[in-house]
Amino acid sequence: MFCYNCGCHLSEHDFCTACGADVSLYKRIMYVSNLYYNEGLEKAGVRDLTGAVTSLRQSLKFNKNNIDARNLLGLVYFEMGEVVAALSEWVISKNLKAEKNIADDYINRLQSNSSRLDSINQTIKKYNQALVYCMQDSRDLAVIQLKKVLSLNPRFIRAHQLLALLYMDSEEWERAERELHKCMDIDRNNTQTLRYLKEVELMLVPDENVRQPAKRKKEETIRYQSDNEVIIQPVNVKEPRRGGASTLLNLGLGLVIGLAVTYFLLVPAAESNAQLKAQESADRIIDQLDAKTVRVQELETQVTNLNGQIQDLNQRLEDIVGEDGTLETIDGLLLAASSYLETQDLEATAASLENIAQSVNLEDTSEGFQSLYHMMLTAIGPDLSKKYAEEGSGAYREGDYTKAIELLDKAVYYDAANGDALFQLGRAYDRNGDAAKAVEVYNKVIELFPDTANARNAQSYKNSLGAE
Amino acid sequence: MINFEEELKKFHPSLEVEDAEEAIYNQDLTDMADLLVKMIKESDEKSNEVS
Repeated sequence: MFCYNCGCHLSEHDFCTACGADVSLYKRIMYVSNLYYNEGLEKAGVRDLTGAVTSLRQSLKFNKNNIDARNLLGLVYFEMGEVVAALSEWVISKNLKAEKNIADDYINRLQSNSSRLDSINQTIKKYNQALVYCMQDSRDLAVIQLKKVLSLNPRFIRAHQLLALLYMDSEEWERAERELHKCMDIDRNNTQTLRYLKEVELMLVPDENVRQPAKRKKEETIRYQSDNEVIIQPVNVKEPRRGGASTLLNLGLGLVIGLAVTYFLLVPAAESNAQLKAQESADRIIDQLDAKTVRVQELETQVTNLNGQIQDLNQRLEDIVGEDGTLETIDGLLLAASSYLETQDLEATAASLENIAQSVNLEDTSEGFQSLYHMMLTAIGPDLSKKYAEEGSGAYREGDYTKAIELLDKAVYYDAANGDALFQLGRAYDRNGDAAKAVEVYNKVIELFPDTANARNAQSYKNSLGAE
Repeated sequence: MINFEEELKKFHPSLEVEDAEEAIYNQDLTDMADLLVKMIKESDEKSNEVS
């Protein structure tokens, strides 16, 4: 013990031998502090932690420099799960006495293990969260949180007490009793624990004189922790025993119902959908078909037209190129002209010209063709006409009037100016019995050769035939 | 019969590690010895004034 005034070591006297200060009261305060410390130590020894805390705090109220009391208080707090309070006391202790202080050792043990410190912090946070849940009336969540807290720090008395309180509120008396007994194991004389325990025991062992309030009907549940989850399972609910037959029956029934639903609800809808789609496809195909049909008809018409054009063109080509075609005819005429110029063969030329006249309509030919033809005709006409006229006359004289008509007709053809041939042709018709033709020829003679002997004779013969 | 709400009021949030420093600083460490010393000093001062 040291003097409060000069700091000297005090003797058994009630005054400081160094400075003379009255230390009687001071000494008494120290003694009281030590007394309380002893008391706290004794209580801590028998696990009366609450009592030890009270005594030790009293000790420190008298003498804050009672390092032993402060360190012990820290220990007691730590044992009660109040880690931060313990740390605070040790830190203050270390500050009051830096050297040879066991608080230093306690602090180092805590701070050296960072995971432990973190775990402690988590515990405190979860406890505070649980308290918040209680305030918010989320009692189940609070219970879950408190269980987690106690799994991390099983000596946290306040957490045990709060959990017991929650169990008591939900009338889980046995569980509450368990928690309270755990509290008792840590701290024997905790007033709050004792009070709760008394209440729980009262509820668990009903007194005859005390009318027990009707228990709330509540399902009992089994709670257990599986990893990070809390499984809550009703106790009294038993799963009905199911036999195999009933299972099969239920399965069959379910199957039948399912099939019925499928048949009556799903199948018609699917069918109508399919029909609709088919109808749409059919409509689309019909439209396409109509379009194609129209196109086919157009093409067929075109083909027909083109075929007709082809035929016409072929015909024209045939007319030009083919047998008795224009080219052939022109070629014939040229040959005839060439033959006449070379051979002066009247008969061959005449034959060629006759062929030409038979094979083609001269009016349809070109101007050049007609010109050449007529030129040829003019060139060989008179001589040929004369020749045919002589032959015709001979045939007439012989009585072969048919031959005479043919020859004289040619004679007239090649030379229209041959009046004698024309007259004699009339005579041949007349002698041949073709009166009409004879009259026609006679008229021609009269018309073409008026005031000639042939015209007069023609008129006479015409009169004799009775024609006007 | 224990009233849950009333009992719940007795539970206070626990200090977290981060709050320890502030709690230590705010702690009033005045004890009886300090009061005694203070009283003696005041008394001495008064007696000195009187004399």
